[in-house]
Amino acid sequence: MLKKILLAIPAAMFAVSVQAAEPSDSPYEVLTELLSKNKDDLYLNQSQQNLMIMPDDPALFTAEEGEALFKEKRGPKNVSLEGCDFGKGPGVLKGAYVEMPRYFADTDKVMTFESRLVHCMVTLQGFDKKDKQVKKRHGSGSDMMKLTTYIAMQSNGMPWNSRLDHPKEKALRDAGEVMFYRRSGPMDFNCATCHGQEGKRIRASVLPYINNPAEWTKAVSWPATRVGQNNVRSTFHRVRGCLYQMRYPNLKQGSETATALISFWTDAARGQPAILPDTKR
Amino acid sequence: MRKNITIAAVVALAMTTAGCTTTGDGGMSGGMKPPSAEARALAEKLTFAENGFVQEQPMQEGGTGRDRLTQDETQKICTDVALSGKPIDDATASKVRALAKASIKYPAGGIKLGDWEKGRVLAWSGFGFRTAHKPDNHKKREPGATCYNCHQLATDRTGGTIGPSLTNYGKIRGSSDEILKYAYDMIYNPNVTFPCTNMPRFGANGVLTEQQIADVMAYLFDPKSLVNK
Repeated sequence: MLKKILLAIPAAMFAVSVQAAEPSDSPYEVLTELLSKNKDDLYLNQSQQNLMIMPDDPALFTAEEGEALFKEKRGPKNVSLEGCDFGKGPGVLKGAYVEMPRYFADTDKVMTFESRLVHCMVTLQGFDKKDKQVKKRHGSGSDMMKLTTYIAMQSNGMPWNSRLDHPKEKALRDAGEVMFYRRSGPMDFNCATCHGQEGKRIRASVLPYINNPAEWTKAVSWPATRVGQNNVRSTFHRVRGCLYQMRYPNLKQGSETATALISFWTDAARGQPAILPDTKR
Repeated sequence: MRKNITIAAVVALAMTTAGCTTTGDGGMSGGMKPPSAEARALAEKLTFAENGFVQEQPMQEGGTGRDRLTQDETQKICTDVALSGKPIDDATASKVRALAKASIKYPAGGIKLGDWEKGRVLAWSGFGFRTAHKPDNHKKREPGATCYNCHQLATDRTGGTIGPSLTNYGKIRGSSDEILKYAYDMIYNPNVTFPCTNMPRFGANGVLTEQQIADVMAYLFDPKSLVNK
């Protein structure tokens, strides 16, 4: 009981601080509204348990830790990340996450959120890519996941709107689409093997369908607490998990190949509200 | 005016595809725009880019990541079908069937059933050939057949629904030579019956050995198997 109260207090405080920044609802409210519009959807409605956990989602604490890290002067250059431009101007976080991947003129590259965060930690704060603050990408305890969860949360409830204005953005999105349907490996799998039909299951898990944006927004709403793994996980962590099951070789984080896949999958959720952070199995 | 024509074309397309529930397994939905040649060229470039997938990563069967990403004829054709957003056409289906037929090798002593209990373990196991960040070690554990991922089998365990239910498989169908061959072909190379199916080619791609296929077959057909209880 005491534990529950202790959990509820910071969650309530956090909800207040988010409300001050944006007329937005909590991730729980964003999801329940999505569910109310899709009452019969098998994928969206498969876990009442996760829904019950959501108001006390441990990812909310991860985000709090991320806020402190974001504002702290860090790295060899002893500056905060408040000067980092995630596409909407230095320090502008509101709505930045749902507009990525996007093209950045300063690097002449289309960047995922993760590669942009690395870019800022290296160029702005002076970290080396091999420093643990940058290198450690997975787990709620990593700086990267803390920062990612905090920044992503500033886009909670906003529609996915990855940029497709620059020719490079469009080219990578389209290549990602081809890769989604490209079959190879000992099992002949493509992404569509699991995500090309609606309402299908792998064992007990209902799979999201790529052509159902209401399902797909939940599918791509990372960071999310994976209850079964007791950790907050990232977009790339999900992509890697799929490729592992597909029997594909390892994909390098931050590569253009990864950006193409993530560009396509973000586009498939376009216009649907992002649930940030989400709770998943 | 132009917009009206476009809308009319989309409606017409929707009508022609409305009665058709299959668009080829693992394919784009009908009415979606097939990708451009540029998109396809960039996808190939990114698939084999040195800084993308780890091209030199060693694989359990020998060979490298690059080999895993390199498509054979069937994979190329079935990718084209998936990207077309349309059901497979007859000529392409015949070609895929012919490739599959040529790939199937039968056991020297004919198709026999193995040990259903071993088959049950194999059917449940999703282990094997996974690589990425955490390669499965085949020296420590035998690769499985991953059947339950997509199929319901014995109902004491929950199977997936990407493939059809196989509960009571032998009980319903008996175990004539014809049905044994049909099931063997389905496991060895299902494209012979369902061109460009989602189901892997367990025999043709070397995922399962001859003995493992016999054991999985026993799980489907043996009257004592839990599949038929």
